[in-house]
Amino acid sequence: MTAAVDLDAILNSSPFARFLAIAAHADERGVLATMPVRDQLVGNVMLPALHGGCVASFLEIACLLQLAREVGTGAPARAINISVEYLRPARRETTFARAQIRRLGKRVAVVHAEAWQQDEGKPVCLLQSHLRLPAGLTAE
Amino acid sequence: MSDTGQRDDTATDGVGDWAGNPYASRMVEYTPYAVALGMRFVTSSAGRGEILLPWREDLVGQDGTDILAPGVLTALIDHTCGLAIMAGLGFEAAPATLDLRIDHMRPAAPRASVTCSAHVYRATRTIAFLRAEAWDVSPDDPVAAAQAAFTLNRRSVK
Repeated sequence: MTAAVDLDAILNSSPFARFLAIAAHADERGVLATMPVRDQLVGNVMLPALHGGCVASFLEIACLLQLAREVGTGAPARAINISVEYLRPARRETTFARAQIRRLGKRVAVVHAEAWQQDEGKPVCLLQSHLRLPAGLTAE
Repeated sequence: MSDTGQRDDTATDGVGDWAGNPYASRMVEYTPYAVALGMRFVTSSAGRGEILLPWREDLVGQDGTDILAPGVLTALIDHTCGLAIMAGLGFEAAPATLDLRIDHMRPAAPRASVTCSAHVYRATRTIAFLRAEAWDVSPDDPVAAAQAAFTLNRRSVK
């Protein structure tokens, strides 16, 4: 199930998504989100590596975008909880993410997302989230 | 566990040999992403840390709400956990987050700054287990609660 939602409009309505300069487009696999590298995003200057917090935020936004595309509304869902696993350091490089809806209920969606850099087969970070759906949806 | 069988939320087991680090605040003041988000060091001691994140317009999650984005809290909580470890181990360790789980109990109030407090409730030679809470007005009414595990990467432990 997919619907026409304006991903750019959703990103533009979020000051923090603009702060992270996140971009997104939809292809046959769903939403591909991109976060360009910037010195401000560094969390460890020795490695150097991106801050785990900004990678997790990026994945949260990837989940919201994929959910918006599948339920067909730009109305924001709200995170109930998230669980993040850090697999390897995120280098000072452009980061990509895709999310997958694992269950779409009446009120709550379970959404998983992965972030990677040069190799999609070597994700740097995984995120699982429970999202409270915006009111007024008729999903399921 | 206390002898009443209830969880002791204030315990910090396993940090007895942590030397302490008087320069722990630098982790907040010199980390680019912490600076970019405007984090401010509040206090720290071995196995404990507290950071304030003042409200800012460009950190809001959704136009028109004036509420800090949940992702901003994720970074604040992760960094405060790192501070709690660095405040004990200093440059002896290069801690890295293994996993972080956050419950968002309620949205922060509009235009509210958020404070996070984290503590190591148990540490082994190689891993620290932490709990953290974030609040806008009172620590008794948190906006988010978290649990995390960090690998310590201690230079003295191979």
